[in-house]
Amino acid sequence: MASKAQKRPLALQIVLFVTLVVWMIAAAFPFFWTLWGSFKVEADFFSLNNWTNALTGRMTEIETGDTFTTQGYYGAWVQEEFWRAAWNSTLVCLFVVSISLTFGTLGGYALARSTYRYAFWFLLIALIFRAMPPITLVSGYLPVFFDWNIWGYLPTAIIVLVAINQPFTLWMLHSFFKNIPQDLDESAMVDGCTRFQAFRYVIIPVMWPGVITTGLFSFLLAYNDFAVTAMILDKQNQTMVPKIASFLGTTQTKGNVMFAVAAVVSTTAPLFLLIMFFQRQIVSGLTAGAVKG
Amino acid sequence: MAEIQLRNVNKRWGSFVGVDNFNLTIADKEFLVLLGPSGCGKTTTMRMIAGLEDITEGEIAIDGKVINNLDPKDRDVAMVFQSYALYPNMNVYENIRFPLRVRGVDASTHDERVRRASRMVELDDFLHRKPAELSGGQRQRVALARAIVREPNVFLMDEPLSNLDAKLRVSTRAQIKNLSHELAVTTIYVTHDQIEAMTLADRVVVMQKGIVQQVGSPTEIYDKPANAFVASFIGNPAMNLIDGEMRGGVFETQRTRVEGLRAPDGKVTLGFRAEDASIAEDGNGQITAPIYTLELLGDATMVSVRIGQALVAVKADKSFRAEIDDTVSISVPADICHVFDTDTGKRLSA
Repeated sequence: MASKAQKRPLALQIVLFVTLVVWMIAAAFPFFWTLWGSFKVEADFFSLNNWTNALTGRMTEIETGDTFTTQGYYGAWVQEEFWRAAWNSTLVCLFVVSISLTFGTLGGYALARSTYRYAFWFLLIALIFRAMPPITLVSGYLPVFFDWNIWGYLPTAIIVLVAINQPFTLWMLHSFFKNIPQDLDESAMVDGCTRFQAFRYVIIPVMWPGVITTGLFSFLLAYNDFAVTAMILDKQNQTMVPKIASFLGTTQTKGNVMFAVAAVVSTTAPLFLLIMFFQRQIVSGLTAGAVKG
Repeated sequence: MAEIQLRNVNKRWGSFVGVDNFNLTIADKEFLVLLGPSGCGKTTTMRMIAGLEDITEGEIAIDGKVINNLDPKDRDVAMVFQSYALYPNMNVYENIRFPLRVRGVDASTHDERVRRASRMVELDDFLHRKPAELSGGQRQRVALARAIVREPNVFLMDEPLSNLDAKLRVSTRAQIKNLSHELAVTTIYVTHDQIEAMTLADRVVVMQKGIVQQVGSPTEIYDKPANAFVASFIGNPAMNLIDGEMRGGVFETQRTRVEGLRAPDGKVTLGFRAEDASIAEDGNGQITAPIYTLELLGDATMVSVRIGQALVAVKADKSFRAEIDDTVSISVPADICHVFDTDTGKRLSA
């Protein structure tokens, strides 16, 4: 039994509960609406005469004989080969995350332990670079990529994404490393480690929450990127987000909106799983930098 | 065997001098304490020996071999950090074993050595715990065990007791003293606590502002401080220091007159210890002044008077009682007095 002092008045409890429910519905509604609608036909989900068609699936039943259909998914994944985009996204994310983390941990550690003034300026310049919208950089490297004949390939996109992401990972990991007392490295070095062994055996194990958090943000940057991937990758090598955009069609070609809806659900679902899986690390990682332990 | 030699060792950061021209030979198996207030360069000196800080100028040699350019791991030293620096992801056993593991010591001997080290610091029951689950005193002992497990040539201890509470500090101090006797390894111990220095050291180095003030046994430093700084730093309470004039062997200032001193004329600082002086019951003491404060210590009563800016303390009998502002006469015979030059602080009396 909770003591009386801890109990909130009933009215306050109701208000809190209602607010929470309303907020949850408001936040989750778009996702559920999209999920629900992805199993309907376009005439239902984008119905002009009656919006409740999206709920009841009247036209879906007329067109396919059932209130739910997987036409959108079939069209996107099989007909339009969305699996290729998914695979490309996987490759891009994998390499962007691993490359950013490799350079980020090594560089962040070096900067955190550096006694020189330039470390600060280096980080400041990195921050300015990070603040620029990625699209402004495109005009700079696009002609070069055409020149060198490397436009359109995944590695090119990976390099650009790493370059855009690296200042952030450096900053983030740098501040995590700063919070690890220098005594730990020094103790390890007196105990018999080289600088790298101290980093590998002592610092990195302590750093896991920071590495995971930073890795996750790097992943999201690569996964969600549109500006760079849409500009650099040719149709064969498109990742998921530009592929979704291409489903919507252009002024010249007719797209299929339901393919796009199905693709959106397919793209969002892994993110939910990922966040749920890593939520504890993310929270501890985010707060670890905030308060001194 | 490990004799450590420091030859003209200097540490400078830009124009700031951290350690100024440090010269010392530390004998094998000696327990040396570096003592001084914070920022005096004692920790920097130790870190230079450990290899964690570059040496700006000069040489450090262990057993005649110059180690200036060796990495910390190649110097065969072990260090106990003020913060203990335990590895939070490893349990106590793995923490103690870590030096053996990274140095590639024969794995079949690990278990025995870890258990022997942990037994010496009475940690046998905690081997499976993580550092976060230990008390401050236990963490401190893990750090000690990690240092002794490898049987290094030199022990370095950087204020190992300063994070412990007063009671634990006394018992751990005794443990360190016993341990160093048992292991007989050259030890350098940094502290700002003069009691630790007095109790542990074979020899004490008193430092201030990067400069060595005095090197000597605890008794020498206590009985014959080389200057006013050392006098004011050693002892509890610190030595009483009164500024005044010396003329013909007589020291004089307000409310104070001490005769029969052997020191040149001029402005001097007179020093004496609270426990050497006494209350003159007959009223014929060298200092006569109203009581500023009276502190009951249990085994004694500390009586303080004010002479100019200085607070002068005298240890009186534990039954001594008086009121604040009562006039008291203090006996300060010449043979308990130390005379220092007021300007340079240097010792003038023999």
